[in-house]
Amino acid sequence: MERCAAAKKPEIGTNNACSSVCPITYFKSQVKNCLDYATERKKNGAKIVGIMCEYTPREIIMAAGGVPVCLCGGSLDMIGPAEKTLPANLCPLIKSTFGYSVERANPFLEMSDLLVAETTCDGKKKMYELLAEERPMHVLELPQKPDDPDSFEHWLIELKKLKNILEVRFSTTITDEKLREAIRIMNRERKLRIGLADLMRAEAPPLTGRELLDMKSLISGMPIDLEQYERAPGALKGREIYPPANSLVRVLVTGVPTPHGAERVIDIVEKNGGLVVCQENCTGIKPLQEMVDEDAADPLGALAEKYFHLPCALMTRNTARIDQLRKLAGEFNVECVIELVWQACITYDIESSFVKRMVEDELGLPYLHIETDYSPSDTARIALRVQALFETVKGKKDFRRER
Amino acid sequence: MLYAGIDAGSRTIKVVLIDATDARIVAAGIIDQGVNQARLARAVFDKALFDSGARKSDIAKIVATGYGRSALDWADTTVTEITCQAYGVKRNFPDVRTIIDIGGQDSKLIRLGRDGVVHDFVMNDRCAAGTGRFLEIVAQRLGMKLEDIGPTAEKAERPAIISSMCVVFAETEIVGLLASEESPENIVAGVQNSIAKRIGTMAGGRIDGPIVFTGGVALVTGMRDALAGALKNPVEIVDDPQMTGALGAAIIALEQMNKSPLSDKTPGIVRQMHEEMLK
Repeated sequence: MERCAAAKKPEIGTNNACSSVCPITYFKSQVKNCLDYATERKKNGAKIVGIMCEYTPREIIMAAGGVPVCLCGGSLDMIGPAEKTLPANLCPLIKSTFGYSVERANPFLEMSDLLVAETTCDGKKKMYELLAEERPMHVLELPQKPDDPDSFEHWLIELKKLKNILEVRFSTTITDEKLREAIRIMNRERKLRIGLADLMRAEAPPLTGRELLDMKSLISGMPIDLEQYERAPGALKGREIYPPANSLVRVLVTGVPTPHGAERVIDIVEKNGGLVVCQENCTGIKPLQEMVDEDAADPLGALAEKYFHLPCALMTRNTARIDQLRKLAGEFNVECVIELVWQACITYDIESSFVKRMVEDELGLPYLHIETDYSPSDTARIALRVQALFETVKGKKDFRRER
Repeated sequence: MLYAGIDAGSRTIKVVLIDATDARIVAAGIIDQGVNQARLARAVFDKALFDSGARKSDIAKIVATGYGRSALDWADTTVTEITCQAYGVKRNFPDVRTIIDIGGQDSKLIRLGRDGVVHDFVMNDRCAAGTGRFLEIVAQRLGMKLEDIGPTAEKAERPAIISSMCVVFAETEIVGLLASEESPENIVAGVQNSIAKRIGTMAGGRIDGPIVFTGGVALVTGMRDALAGALKNPVEIVDDPQMTGALGAAIIALEQMNKSPLSDKTPGIVRQMHEEMLK
């Protein structure tokens, strides 16, 4: 049985922090867990569907008997091959995702029967055109006005088209009942993952932000993942992180997603005196905030609603994100906000001035904007800024204490 | 009882020793950077200690800052140069709201709130434009010493416009200017304006005074006026611009030992700074 390196009480079988396999240990072999599952499902006739965005309704894919797998690239090594075709001045996530295809190095992509993509940012939209030359793909058009009923109608039509395409391609019928069943599974996953994220609200959370991030799976609705999510709060009870939480600055990280392999900035924050208690991004809490209405008469409509509400910077206006950040900063008792923007991500970069304004002027919290890519060459420079940010937080704390 | 601050910068290592009772500077030293940074830091530290007449056991705490701070494992703690500069500059300018620190290979703009706490900062540490390095290259190109740059700029009739963003291309531009018989004085003044303009960009059009200039480049005459021109605001200079980082580190060492609530041992100057902050 594996021991968790961070556990302060390593004895197994007693009143301790870890019982049998610690969920944190389970998720360390996440890629293998997902690969085993996907391979098994494919062997039994399931279709593997590659997705690259939190706007993609997993439930429709699951209702078609498909397994939704996230293909977002977090590897630096895949960027070189991508740059043979893609411009260098482009988001590293887009380059890495494409590079995996060029190198045929992502086993999930190689076993995918179909890719489902959306017209999100310009970079992704055009990269998908190149990707579609090699891979079967269906692109959904995502309207960009979240409060406009006509935009929503258009989105619903796009989802109906997706449903039809899947039915034809996979020779199946997507009934309302199948949709409802998938919605129940995904809502359960969302609730369980929120339960884990909420562990970070505590003064002394039993896990680090990186450990929580590692629990986000590549595959949606995987039964063994859900089991681990269910066990985790109990299994982690009493666990102490090191350095101790009360010596760390509580950080809310916002901005772009940090896919598997691209966690460098989260690590820098947590190695320099911070604890990432909340991740307001698509690899964090963002897609979990809203459930799909299980009681709705039209499950496809309910799906369209929940997914359309995701507050990504591609939307205009994205005030929902600012509202969510304001709420989360309070709920997680954060002491500062760090915004991560991938190089060349124009939408999040411009939106960051709204975030900075809200954090500094309304919340009165220190804010740090970090723009970087996957290369580790600026790690020392980022660490310096993070250290200076934490010194500012401590300076403000001392100032308040002395008043 | 003394407190020590060491600033291991890109060009020089600075040491400041302050007295525990009144935070007065008791000794200071500076040495050029080199390959064996830890040994050089030790040498300048020992010299300052010798000058102060104190012994090693009289040093209560050592705080290291600067680019090379992690290499000094005999320091008690490290603090970033952003925070250290704030403390060092506030010592002489308690109302400072913007600090501009231009060193050998980086430049920083540090904003402080009305409470005297660092509010935010902008740092350029990956491009030579806007740093002392640019002046070094120009001095080399014009065959003069760095110390002569300031006096040369003062004699400029009309500063040249250096349009290149990048120091490497600016060097080429300067060669071209010399060939078209532009005077070295105008060129140097143009370079100073170019550096000042880079700082202006970092300020982002939002600058609150009082503005105080520190760092090695503050020693170069003409730079302060160039900055004031670019920022459209008066700019003060600290007395000893190279030493504010180390001074701030020493003050932090003292303050960390006398952590809040303020104890009886807290010297008057630090107590005064705290009281200023509470106003």
